[in-house]
Amino acid sequence: MATTTVQETESIWKGGRSPFKVSYGKLMMWFFLLSDAFTFSSLLVFYGAARYSLADVWPLPDMVFNHFPLVGHYHLPLFFVSLMTFILIFSSVTMVLAVEAGHRNSHKEVGKYMLWTIIGGLAFLGCQAWEWSVFIGDGAKLYSNNFGLTADGKSYAEGLKVFGHYEWSEGLRTAGPAQFSSLFFLVTGFHGFHVFSGVVLNIIVYINVLFGTYERRGHYEMVEKVGLYWHFVDLVWVFVFTFFYLI
Amino acid sequence: MAHSNKSVEDPEKEYNPVNYIPHSESHGTKEVWMGFWILLGLTLIDIAFYFIMPANMLRNSIFIVLGVVKAYYIVGTFMHLKYENNKLMLSIIIPIVFILWLIVLLLYEGDALSIME
Repeated sequence: MATTTVQETESIWKGGRSPFKVSYGKLMMWFFLLSDAFTFSSLLVFYGAARYSLADVWPLPDMVFNHFPLVGHYHLPLFFVSLMTFILIFSSVTMVLAVEAGHRNSHKEVGKYMLWTIIGGLAFLGCQAWEWSVFIGDGAKLYSNNFGLTADGKSYAEGLKVFGHYEWSEGLRTAGPAQFSSLFFLVTGFHGFHVFSGVVLNIIVYINVLFGTYERRGHYEMVEKVGLYWHFVDLVWVFVFTFFYLI
Repeated sequence: MAHSNKSVEDPEKEYNPVNYIPHSESHGTKEVWMGFWILLGLTLIDIAFYFIMPANMLRNSIFIVLGVVKAYYIVGTFMHLKYENNKLMLSIIIPIVFILWLIVLLLYEGDALSIME
């Protein structure tokens, strides 16, 4: 025990143990997420600046993202994207429950909640694929789109009620700013790629849970680490939801 | 690399990277579900404001404030940062200042972007 006493009198910053009281892997996951937060905030801040500088011609989000699967041409702004938000929040909850079950070393429950998290992630990716296909089908390209509204189109949009039927006729829409569609593809695509990688990581951890890797190791910290990544994906979506759809 | 599951006599030694074993106490699921209901409620408030209020600067500010509150619950409760070591918490929170600085810069220099038109 003599060595322990010597260690304790030394500064905690001189090496030998973690001043942050977490494992190396978890600390590095936090720092990676911090750097990723910088990447996403650069994208979102530029989105805000581009939109602000083009405010007069920027397309109205409720006239672009107003589709819902299987219901046809009814004006339903925000409905589908709220569903996506709920799916992602719920999969975040099942992820915390998996981490909590891991703290109790409950092998079976960790597997159950990991599986729900994976299903939630896949459901979100499916929704996003549908959203993109509708967006592209409506005429969005990487460097151009036709979501700008003419004077007639603006008065048509103002008269449109939620749940009302709508039809785009000639002369209502015109070319919108290229940044509208390119930033949508860039930011939601980058976020969707993060969700995809998160699902892959969750599947790897789930397989390891099934094989009993963490049970043999004695702790489920790996679930906690991918959990941090998964919650970060949810956190980014909160801001994508705010800046792309709400505002 | 398999970590040994031996008990640690000295709690401080627990954080030695070599023989580190993560603490595994459960805090229960009560707070998790509370976090979920708060996030759900805030999102529903977002949606309500979206349909009730006309689009203006005040509504946008409400959305951003609610987004930051949601971020607090995701990072604090779900990612457990509230309960981590103080030094870890500060080294994650303080660099966020750079994001605020980026926003200030773009608000200040935003005029130059008008060339995009």
